[in-house]
Amino acid sequence: MKTEKLKKLSSVLAAIKAEPLTNRAEADLTGCYISDLLSDVLAHASHGMLWITIQTHRNVISCATTKDIGAVLFVCGRKPDPGVVAEADAEGIVLLSTKLAAYEAAGKLWEAGLR
Amino acid sequence: MNATIEKDNRMRQTAVLQPAGGDRRLRLPERQPELTASVAVAHNAVAIKLGNSTIAMTTMSDGSPTDAGMTAGKPLKVSVAQVLIYELRVRDAMTRPPVTAGPGDSLRTIQHLMKTHRISGVPILQNGVPVGLVSIEDIINALDQGHVNEPAERWMTRNIVTLRDHFSLVRAVAEFDRHGFGRFPVLNSSGELVGVITRGDITACLMQQLEKRAEEAAAREAALFSGQTSDLEQTKSLVVQTEVKSGDYDNAGKISQRMRQILRARGVDPNIQRRAAIIAYEAEMNIIIHSIGGDLSIVISPGKVVIEAVDRGPGIENVDLAMQEGWSTAGPLAREMGFGAGMGLPNIKKCSDQFEIHSEMSVGTRLHCEVLLSQAAPPPQPGEPNEN
Repeated sequence: MKTEKLKKLSSVLAAIKAEPLTNRAEADLTGCYISDLLSDVLAHASHGMLWITIQTHRNVISCATTKDIGAVLFVCGRKPDPGVVAEADAEGIVLLSTKLAAYEAAGKLWEAGLR
Repeated sequence: MNATIEKDNRMRQTAVLQPAGGDRRLRLPERQPELTASVAVAHNAVAIKLGNSTIAMTTMSDGSPTDAGMTAGKPLKVSVAQVLIYELRVRDAMTRPPVTAGPGDSLRTIQHLMKTHRISGVPILQNGVPVGLVSIEDIINALDQGHVNEPAERWMTRNIVTLRDHFSLVRAVAEFDRHGFGRFPVLNSSGELVGVITRGDITACLMQQLEKRAEEAAAREAALFSGQTSDLEQTKSLVVQTEVKSGDYDNAGKISQRMRQILRARGVDPNIQRRAAIIAYEAEMNIIIHSIGGDLSIVISPGKVVIEAVDRGPGIENVDLAMQEGWSTAGPLAREMGFGAGMGLPNIKKCSDQFEIHSEMSVGTRLHCEVLLSQAAPPPQPGEPNEN
């Protein structure tokens, strides 16, 4: 295992004014990946990453679990159904929502040091 | 069912469904051990909820059923409603045999019948033909006005509306809304009185069916994972097999998550776990998105994981094209959900140590993948700089 630069999720949360949706709202992040295509995330995201997407259905959780995604950030104010949040809680996946669009959120996260 | 509840247009019944087989070992870990289901038969609509999500919603207008789920653009949520509300008949839900009385019986006698049988309405039969109905409201009025000892024929409701036993429940609910009655006598095709149906009967019937389905699902999952207790025995091969239904996006990923748990428990390298999970998930999604249905089987042996996805068609027209990144034949719904990136098969191949695919049009597709568990470190995957 090579050493990874881990970034605490809480240290970048304020930058994007994100609202935690799950009970757990802390994770060690290894980076960030933006995609709305699930197969693309399966292929190219790495474990521990923050995943930015507008997809809110339950397959996002399956995909995040499969890939050991650290946290999922829904942009443009999108929020999943309570059932999806409950599944994320059960699987230990952190879910967040921000009113920002993906581009703005990514910019602010980069500035906050999530690289 | 008593009169006060029946007058309420919004009836609700909630039950906690325990999966069949109380044996805890057979339950899926990290899943809700119990399922809260509710059925609400409200004005012009029937909603079936499992947990927090509405799994079926059906509305009626003018007795001609239309499907809210369809028009709202969520065809996935409709199938259960169709089965439950459209396939179930009045005869499935009605109380039978009906408790009846004769025209000469006193209202007092009928009141005792209601009390004994815990019912709120009694059809009045003359020579086997229903000629009226005495409801609990009639009894209350009789007690109030002091004619409770008079014969039923003087006070019964005469112009009764009946339902046929072959009517669908969706039509029955529409009839309840149209007429505002608490109950309908039910006749068979020969015109004989065979039962009585209330809104409460419909709710109870839906609950029963829902419970049956939940139990069947739990039994299937229990059977699926019955080898769970010996998961940790490294020397044993474990077979996880399940049917995958076309369009069943709601259950996608559960098998691969289960496989992950087993691999994790066996101490398999996390990267290898993830590769196997991606194969299983993408293979399952392929069956859900592209096929008319199939089976996914996972064999976990000490040295390797073998994942096989076999579907019943329609088959891949050009396998070489399907293997190209970005090529996809996924429909608009799948694309809307973020599938159909054209990366499924390439992803699967990339994650496999051994990969075979055979497809024949109108026969189906067979995908065979193997992931070695014993190898030291997997080759680095393109696009995964952070993984070693």
